[in-house]
Amino acid sequence: MKNKQINYSKTHAKYLKKLKTEKLIVIFWQIVVIVGFLGLWELLATTGAIDPFFFSSPSRIVTTIIDLGRSGNLFIHIWTSLYETILGFTIATILGVFIAILLWWSERLRKVMEPYLIVINSLPKIALGPMIILWVGSGVSATIVMCVLICLVITIISMLNAFISCDSDKILLMKSMHANKFQILFKLILPNALPDFISVLKINVGMSWVGTIMGEYLSSKAGLGYLINYGSQMLQLDVVMASIVLLCILAGGMYFIVSPFEKKYKKG
Amino acid sequence: MEKFLQYKNVSYFYQTKESEIHALNKIDFSIAEKDFASIVGPSGCGKTTMLSLTAGLLEPSTGEILLKGKKIEKNDSRIGYMFQRDHLFEWRTIWQNIILGLEIQKKHKDEKTLCFADQLLKKYDLYNFKNKKPRQLSGGMRQRVALIRTLVLNPTLLLLDEPFSALDFQTRLNVCDDVYQIIKSEKKTALLVTHDISEALSMSDKIFILSSRPATVRKQLEISFEGDTPLKKREDKNFGKYFELIWRNLS
Repeated sequence: MKNKQINYSKTHAKYLKKLKTEKLIVIFWQIVVIVGFLGLWELLATTGAIDPFFFSSPSRIVTTIIDLGRSGNLFIHIWTSLYETILGFTIATILGVFIAILLWWSERLRKVMEPYLIVINSLPKIALGPMIILWVGSGVSATIVMCVLICLVITIISMLNAFISCDSDKILLMKSMHANKFQILFKLILPNALPDFISVLKINVGMSWVGTIMGEYLSSKAGLGYLINYGSQMLQLDVVMASIVLLCILAGGMYFIVSPFEKKYKKG
Repeated sequence: MEKFLQYKNVSYFYQTKESEIHALNKIDFSIAEKDFASIVGPSGCGKTTMLSLTAGLLEPSTGEILLKGKKIEKNDSRIGYMFQRDHLFEWRTIWQNIILGLEIQKKHKDEKTLCFADQLLKKYDLYNFKNKKPRQLSGGMRQRVALIRTLVLNPTLLLLDEPFSALDFQTRLNVCDDVYQIIKSEKKTALLVTHDISEALSMSDKIFILSSRPATVRKQLEISFEGDTPLKKREDKNFGKYFELIWRNLS
């Protein structure tokens, strides 16, 4: 590191230092915001300014998580939600890309399906909830179906847009080299859509959690959505808050798994 | 003169929702082997349509186009096409871009062809950039890579669709020089389409001036300068005269 810095000119070193300082300032304020928020919350709860029965408090959330963890149930809930989300996310992404490829392949099919895609996209998928339960039964499978439904349409539409927005001259170039449709797909359309695919993955992380929690609200015997529902009905706001905190951690974690791919591929 | 590429009474109509557009009207011309010919014309007169017809991407409505006496087929493999922009694939390295056409035609395992690609890279100073990504290269170098990508397929006829229009003026003159010399030293026949009179003048042995739509060949010029590179030709004392002649025929 130090050897490297010798090569920098004074002004450049100054510039780099400025960048570094700016980054530190941002991190500092990020910490201030979270610590301040939690501190204020705790303070208001302990002094009785807000009712901890309804608003809970950071310390009560931590205790609740520890209690739930000791009883062993917590891991079942986390595992159930995580399982549903990851499965729903994966199925929707793979199926969505596959359908988008089919729609790209046949322009006629695309034209035929267009109005239906628009309607299905604007339909609130939760409206299908009762039917899903009747068809696939309540519990884990209903939640996964809900999760897939929510992610699927947006995946199809985003990927299809990415496919058909490919520069027509690039397709002409491939054709002038005698590429067949498979080659155009695999050597041009798919690699060209990679940055869009990464964006879809990021959107789907959020969407799949929406699907899972909605599914669990509708009908479930386990999962964080179940825990939130249960907690609010039993007026155990600590349980509700604890579940939400865990949800934040899980969803954030999934996002951070996806985001390095973005950095890697979006540069191009 | 042996006719290498020949347009025989070629007309072309294309359809839009509103009407049928008569783009080309009874075009007749021919070029010889190793000629560098240019087509200039007012914008929208159907120059690019002519290239698409020559490449076999479109079929003439009437008449026929012959290359070495043989009718041009759909996506004729004897033809190499160079576009306005380089269209290098960003996710591929320079080398992978160059062998794209070979991969498509399943020739990328053929030692001889790969050796040829290697040679071209060395000859035109791109060998050190073999494993770089296109975005690490300058506009001029990218256009050279695009040309080599076309040349490795060993086309009989090269079609150039305003290949320098996306470059800034300075780069343009240099790349124009480079491309000209590459084409000449590989002994290729080339057909260039452009609206830039001086570009056509500095590169071609032969210029066809098209009228506006429906386009016909209004005038055909044989160009000869003392200089042998586009940059030197631009300095020739007759350059201005030719320029004026073409300009008057265009408007």
